[in-house]
Amino acid sequence: MPHLIVDRLTKIYERGKVLALDDVSFTVEKGEFLVLIGLSGSGKSTLLRCINRLVEPTSGRVILDGTEITALSPRELRRVRRKIGMIFQQFNLVKRSTVLANVLAGRLGYVPTPRTLLGKFPKEDLERAKRALERVGLLEKMFVRADQLSGGQQQRVGIARALMQEPDLLLADEPVSALDPATSHSILQYLEQMNREDGVTVLCALHFLSLARRYGSRLIALKDGRIVFEGLPAEIDNVKFKEIYGEEAEEVEVR
Amino acid sequence: MAKRPKRSRSADPSLIPLGKRLLSFFLDWAIWGYIAYGAVYFLNYYWYVAHIDWYGRLTLPDWAWPVVVVSTLELALLCRAFGHSLGTRLLGLILAEDGHYSPSWGKRFRYFWASHISIVPLGLGVWASPKRPWHERLSGLQLVRLPEPEVRTTPPPRWYATGWGMMALFLFGLTMALGWHITGVHLKALVSGVGKPVRLWRGLVRPDFSYLIELDPWLNDSIVGALIESVFMALLATVFGVAFAFPLSFLGARNIMATGPIGLLIYGLTRGIFNIFRSIESILWALIFAIWVGWGPFAGTLALFLHTIAALGKLYSEQIEHIDPGPVEAVTATGASRLEVMRYAVIPQIIPPYLAFTLYRWDINVRMATVVALVGGGGIGRLFFYYQNQLDWPKVGAVIVGIALIVWALDYISGRVREKIV
Repeated sequence: MPHLIVDRLTKIYERGKVLALDDVSFTVEKGEFLVLIGLSGSGKSTLLRCINRLVEPTSGRVILDGTEITALSPRELRRVRRKIGMIFQQFNLVKRSTVLANVLAGRLGYVPTPRTLLGKFPKEDLERAKRALERVGLLEKMFVRADQLSGGQQQRVGIARALMQEPDLLLADEPVSALDPATSHSILQYLEQMNREDGVTVLCALHFLSLARRYGSRLIALKDGRIVFEGLPAEIDNVKFKEIYGEEAEEVEVR
Repeated sequence: MAKRPKRSRSADPSLIPLGKRLLSFFLDWAIWGYIAYGAVYFLNYYWYVAHIDWYGRLTLPDWAWPVVVVSTLELALLCRAFGHSLGTRLLGLILAEDGHYSPSWGKRFRYFWASHISIVPLGLGVWASPKRPWHERLSGLQLVRLPEPEVRTTPPPRWYATGWGMMALFLFGLTMALGWHITGVHLKALVSGVGKPVRLWRGLVRPDFSYLIELDPWLNDSIVGALIESVFMALLATVFGVAFAFPLSFLGARNIMATGPIGLLIYGLTRGIFNIFRSIESILWALIFAIWVGWGPFAGTLALFLHTIAALGKLYSEQIEHIDPGPVEAVTATGASRLEVMRYAVIPQIIPPYLAFTLYRWDINVRMATVVALVGGGGIGRLFFYYQNQLDWPKVGAVIVGIALIVWALDYISGRVREKIV
């Protein structure tokens, strides 16, 4: 049985009546690094957010390891969410909090609410936070406010936060779109490492095809909310490229 | 499974809803009614046109009403045809011809006369053909949504050079002129009367500080003592106000409460209560509490306290509504509960602005503490109104100096603190 099944997922945003996802179905095996590509507004972000129900799908099912996420009660949903890490284009850190506080937030699904409301995390979570920060090379920034960090460093904090969840699945919503090419590679290498060493399945939306080719084990292309291509990154030739991005498009490389 | 919508990204965007057309039309008509009223008001200064009584009510002879109705209607239609329509502009509409906003005069005139067979008979031509009303068909012009990209190679006119801009300026001028008359602005009196309150001026520039620290036997209070009392009144009202406003502000934030109809109801109620309590001035609350708990600083503190809850509650709620939604999304995605999302994604974002607002509120409360004394709220204001009743202007002057110094000092301190935290 596949790790993740997305079955006939449709999302219509009521305001503006925009059809963001149109009958999207695919499956993901354990340990894959699946890359989503497509123009802005093609539905990549909506798709990722429908998987952990940050966005409520209009119809269709999402099934993770046999659990139908789309049918869960809010309480059950929280238990599933803690096994799904997520990183974001704009990093989505609490800028006025310290790096450590941001990283510890990754454990909120595990620690009982009364304890976290007092700001008390178990000792092993503090140790875990240190290990996560060490892994992304930011241990010495532990008590620095998040807004003091550079973009690449902030995204690494985002990765550390996801690591804290000890996830089975990682959703990455254009994690490098706000970063320069060199930093982009370093961030994606962390994702690759999680994928290979920890066996985390990765779903990553990307803008650049060259990055998709370099990191993805499989690729899905969206256009106007529908899947227009599914296969290996290497299979995308010039014709397919123009199909996905439109006639005018020229490929830009990130090395 | 939900019904599949059409492939188009939205419903026909060119269709202007009937309600919008109607509203814009009645706005234009009402604007001309207002102009007609203004015209009568000013014409009456030179020769009698119609009776306007002391309260501003206009009385017209029976035969004149149809004339007013028809002439304002005609003028409104003219305005709509010739681009001076504020009604359409306010609703984000504009009259256009094939993508540009400067149709020829001939077509505008045709639009005007066609309105008489389309709009005047109770909007027959609009009901009959809502997509393309008769007057639009006959003239070749149509109402479109702004900002529809306009096909043009010359820069667009500045807003004050457009028809609706001139109309808006004219209305502003008319309103200011009406206001000038209604409030009875009397510049001559302002200049000639400057010397009349001479005893007051003299007292204020030569304040009498004899009861600065020493107790005034009549009041059993001194200026410094009363000032300290006022500052503490404001402090208590602020601190307790914050304690109530902080939890309530979450209920009054739309983004937090927009989880369902019940949440939205609570949101609406909370905001409604904030607005009602805020619109009732502290001095009225003081009046109530002076009877409830008796005259004195406690009544004043309660009055300030209630007003503080409402005012801070509203400011706090708005602050919550303006937080960055990103961290909320991220923390939610980790599997955190709603309370944890508040604690880890919302509260860290709002604490610094909350502190700034709170200090500012303390400032306001010190100033308001002087006024609530008028109806028995205690504090420095009690001295102020007592001396003022005695016409003891030098002592009033001393009190004012005291208030000014305290307010200035608090303003300075809170300003410095706000600079540090925001």
